[in-house]
Amino acid sequence: MNADRTLPWDWYPGRVPDNVTVDPGAYLETTYSFQLFRSAAADAVRIGRGSSIYLGVMFDVGSQGRVSIGEFTLINGARIICDAEVSIGDYCLISWNTVFMDTTRLPATVAARRKVLTAMATREPRRIEDATPARPIRIGRNVWIGFDACVLPGVNIGEGAVVGARSVVVEDVPPYSVAVGNPARVIRKLEPPKLTENV
Amino acid sequence: MSTTSSSCTSGWSHGPLPASVRIGENTLITADYAFKRFRSKQPDALRIGSHATMDGVHFAVGEGGRVSIGDYCYFTNAVLLCELELRIGNYVVIGWNATIADTDFHPLAPAERIADAIACSPLGQGRPRPEIAKKPVVIEDDVWIGPNATILKGVRIGAGAWIEAGSLVTRDVPPGSRVLGNPAQIVGEAK
Repeated sequence: MNADRTLPWDWYPGRVPDNVTVDPGAYLETTYSFQLFRSAAADAVRIGRGSSIYLGVMFDVGSQGRVSIGEFTLINGARIICDAEVSIGDYCLISWNTVFMDTTRLPATVAARRKVLTAMATREPRRIEDATPARPIRIGRNVWIGFDACVLPGVNIGEGAVVGARSVVVEDVPPYSVAVGNPARVIRKLEPPKLTENV
Repeated sequence: MSTTSSSCTSGWSHGPLPASVRIGENTLITADYAFKRFRSKQPDALRIGSHATMDGVHFAVGEGGRVSIGDYCYFTNAVLLCELELRIGNYVVIGWNATIADTDFHPLAPAERIADAIACSPLGQGRPRPEIAKKPVVIEDDVWIGPNATILKGVRIGAGAWIEAGSLVTRDVPPGSRVLGNPAQIVGEAK
């Protein structure tokens, strides 16, 4: 990163926001990923050593949202819709066009939704802030998520789990299991690494 | 990659709107690609009500397609594929990368698909394409459609329904219900 928080290789004329920490050993492909970023939280995004964030990633993070990405995690494309907290562990592999949403942004009742939409139309820029409570998402270390998968609010995915392509994860996935389908179900278990292995 | 943000507060900031597009007061359309696949020859091809926000929406409307969208709708990077008719009510919310299509674009029968592949090819110019099924999609007022959801042809989604993210909707959804899955099933009420 340059001193003015631009990226030497960036094609997009943006900067890395001040409350975003990118480890010197991490790779951030473009500041376009922060086009929808509006968090005012301290330490709003943290990208750990050895992690890479490619151009398909969009940090759609609301005013109080916080996203943490561990070490050696690879994210090719993810829409991170975050108003509270999305945390992704170390050694995760995350594919294209995935969605991680800790909030639906709009309330579940029709009357409340109408109120929020009416107010939004008068705002510039037109964004929805804190209209409904968010429920944090936690992805453990060594999780692999296939393309087009969606992870819905409040979901925890345990260490070592695999989520198949196009799956929609609506409930927690236990550690070392493979979950597939829409809605996702666990179809098999994986062998946890032995302590003697170098992990 | 095209930008989806816009400096204008209503209208469209990437040139004049196509002549057959009419939008109401305070309606905002962003993205330079919004009308790249807009080929409708209908007089009233796209009508959008007032106070709507169409952020990064693809209006891929074929020659015979007509789309109507009500007031206070909020769509984010939705893909609207229309060859016949999409009718969308008021206060409808459509999430990132959701797709709505009123046709499958190609015929089901194998022989007809070969004919269609040839007609669509660079060598098929002038060859007529086989008849392709189209059925209007109707989305009533106050429907919420999550990111990555898909709505297929002929579906009517009843007022106030909640379509969970990633759902693939192939059948009508009753008003006020919550659906989920592929194919989408009713899992409860939309509060």
